[in-house]
Amino acid sequence: MTVTYAPRPPIWCAGCGHFGVQAALDRALGEAGIPPEATLILAGIGCSGTIQNNLGTYGYHALHGRVLPAATGAALADPSLTVIAAGGDGDGYAIGAGHLVHTFRRNPALTYLLMNNATYGLTKGQGSPTAALVHPEHREQALDGILLGLGITASTFLARGYSGRPDQLLRLIAAALDHARAGRGFGFVEVLSPCVTYQDTYPAWDAAVADLDEETGYDPSDRAAAFATCLRVMGEGRIPTGIVYRGGPAAFVPDPGPAALDLAAATEGCRTIMDGYRV
Amino acid sequence: MTAVVPRLRDDLTVAVAGQGGDGSLTLIGLLTRILSPRGFHLYSARNVASRIKGGHAAARLRASLADRGGLGDHVDLLVAFDDEAVVRIGPDLAGDAIVIFDSSAGPAPTAALPPGATVIEAPLSRMAVRDLRRDLFKNSLAFALLARTLSIPDAEAVSCLRSGLARLAVGVREANERALRLGFEHADSVGLDEGSGPWSLATGPAADHLLISGNEALALGLIAAGGRFFTGYPITPASEILEWMERHLPGLGGVVVQAEDELSAVNMAIGAALTGVRAMTATSGPGLALMQEGVGHAGSAEIPLVVVDCQRAGPSTGMPTRPEQSDLAMLIHGGNGEFPRVVLTPGDTADCFHLGVAATALSRRLQCPVYVALDQAIAQHASTVIPFDLDVAVEPGAVLDAVGLAALGEYRRYRVTPDGVSPWVVPGTPGGMNLVTGNERNEWGQVSIDPETRRTMMAKRARKIAAAKDLFPRGRRWGDDAAEIGVLATGFAVAPVVEACERLAATGITLAGLQPRTLWPVLDETLEFVRRRRLTFVVEHNDEGQIHDVLAAEGVPLAAMRGIRRSDGLAFTPAELASRIAAGVER
Repeated sequence: MTVTYAPRPPIWCAGCGHFGVQAALDRALGEAGIPPEATLILAGIGCSGTIQNNLGTYGYHALHGRVLPAATGAALADPSLTVIAAGGDGDGYAIGAGHLVHTFRRNPALTYLLMNNATYGLTKGQGSPTAALVHPEHREQALDGILLGLGITASTFLARGYSGRPDQLLRLIAAALDHARAGRGFGFVEVLSPCVTYQDTYPAWDAAVADLDEETGYDPSDRAAAFATCLRVMGEGRIPTGIVYRGGPAAFVPDPGPAALDLAAATEGCRTIMDGYRV
Repeated sequence: MTAVVPRLRDDLTVAVAGQGGDGSLTLIGLLTRILSPRGFHLYSARNVASRIKGGHAAARLRASLADRGGLGDHVDLLVAFDDEAVVRIGPDLAGDAIVIFDSSAGPAPTAALPPGATVIEAPLSRMAVRDLRRDLFKNSLAFALLARTLSIPDAEAVSCLRSGLARLAVGVREANERALRLGFEHADSVGLDEGSGPWSLATGPAADHLLISGNEALALGLIAAGGRFFTGYPITPASEILEWMERHLPGLGGVVVQAEDELSAVNMAIGAALTGVRAMTATSGPGLALMQEGVGHAGSAEIPLVVVDCQRAGPSTGMPTRPEQSDLAMLIHGGNGEFPRVVLTPGDTADCFHLGVAATALSRRLQCPVYVALDQAIAQHASTVIPFDLDVAVEPGAVLDAVGLAALGEYRRYRVTPDGVSPWVVPGTPGGMNLVTGNERNEWGQVSIDPETRRTMMAKRARKIAAAKDLFPRGRRWGDDAAEIGVLATGFAVAPVVEACERLAATGITLAGLQPRTLWPVLDETLEFVRRRRLTFVVEHNDEGQIHDVLAAEGVPLAAMRGIRRSDGLAFTPAELASRIAAGVER
């Protein structure tokens, strides 16, 4: 048995919500029987962008905001991998927001865990695009990634979990992994993951989260109803969680994908292309 | 006006000019079918404004029995669809030029022409609309006059038109043929008889040729070397590579993604490369500025990546349809921090193929970003080349499979090695799990700011380039290697420099020429080339002398170099270079 890197203990502060995310991901991968060698975790920059170091899988540390393009490239190049992107709200909703929009639209078969703590923890507590979630007096409104995803009709899986509700979070991550691995597409899970040092939102979020599974007659395949329900719940000062939407078109998954190609067999194909230029 | 003995031409530059959308490229395409079987080498250039239709647009075709690979000094034969075409191209016309002028709106503005020029006027557009109901058929009318001017038999022109338009609908083909015959009738009426025009074409040994642009040749080289994942964002003059890949790569099992921006394009390519797939992207200067962060990341994280920069005139959005060589400093020095990288600079169309192959192999071998720096002219102009040898050995790189991995007691992604290149295990390989990061890290890929680790890793990455100096593509040379005066050029400056050197040699000024095909790292052969001469002219298409500065930074004395530069978007002519070099030598 070849010895490789030993996962280190997380760098997070005691009580950080990210511990809950890591535990749920670890357990979901284990329960789905996905081996570490077939798992590639790509992470952005920030406290959340260290999760790939901790689980013994293949790991990649992306540039700030660019984890989704990198994950899309990996998923399209080798569809045999279980590709998981991870990052924070700064990474996904600020510097990388453009890529999030286009990843919803492109719907690649991968899972994205966005750990939303409404702050920039690693750079010591600056406001993020979701700061107004916990500071209603903030002069800029919060970005809601789930509503954003609902507004893009190519999106296929939108869920929100909470580190303080580990059972639900495990179910959501497992469902997102299934969604991506079945070739349905982009499994987006926003996790409310409190920063206990700069923005301890546990008490507020404990009280605010509303599980849509408990809503009578909630149908996650009805995009318009999902949007209306989210707005209503948010209007009541609560935060909708659960699988908000699941449906839409299938993903493009190359078969077998470039990583599985026999390159030596392609000379004739190149020759046919070249012959088109003969004069 | 028919010459008694047609003058034999073995080097002829034809321009077709009018408004964008006039169809000048079609006419040039027909002409290639006349010229290629006669053994002519072709070089086809276009000059358009950055707009979809309208604006002055011109296509130029140089046909020569010698392989020139660039435009000459003058335009010999002009097909002008409007006054503007005559006024704009007039200054470039040879003293004995022939101008076929569309006189639908009045006679040619002869003041713009050299005194010795001959004008053949015909109301091409009016005839096309009156007799064939469509302005575009003026091209076939003009083709008849062109054929007669060059003493091409009518039957050959007809068959050439048929094969050239074979893909069009039957009705359109027939109408074009009627236009061609109308053109012959008009030629008869002005005394331009079949087979006895003012000029005739020489013939040389016919060769098996491709007519291909640099962008296309490069794309073919990338995939021949194993490239199977391409991302891009549309930008002039690199878009053809994206379009080419979309057309051809999926058929080979590859994947092409048009990204939402260049940030995404470069990072998608990086993500694909992580899985062991040979990945590439292409852009131009403004896009490359956005990609800098990603390229530096690939350099730090040791990820193989091919990045093509089809340089256009900058700064900022500059002149999108004009060539320049002004991104070189960005390619060599751009990005935060210091990391290993390679910059390859093709000097002609065929070189684009070969350096596409080399870039793919080098990036794989060295696990670092490799740039291929074209310019708009090299990228978009087409020329005849000998078909490429496609039996390219795909560089495997230091990739370990499960068997190779099992033989190791332990696996460290960033293991320190003598040549700086670490064994690479890609995701999916059992037992080889590893961490890849752009942060500084230890051999295990774990983030570290330990000074000793930092020193070791900086040295390891630098060593990849230093240990590989023999692998980099060597330069192309011409002229007399013993000469005490040298000329150095890259990209589209090479062809006119080579031609200028030939002419100067005939006047007794011998020169040694070098096109460095690896611009970065600076190869010893490049420095030796300059050091062995009293003076080297460094010819480049930028204002600040970016190649000059790279050589100076490597220790070449300033007095040993003299810059010849242009940054107005135009190519040097051989005549201009010959005179500037001759003046510089005498000084």
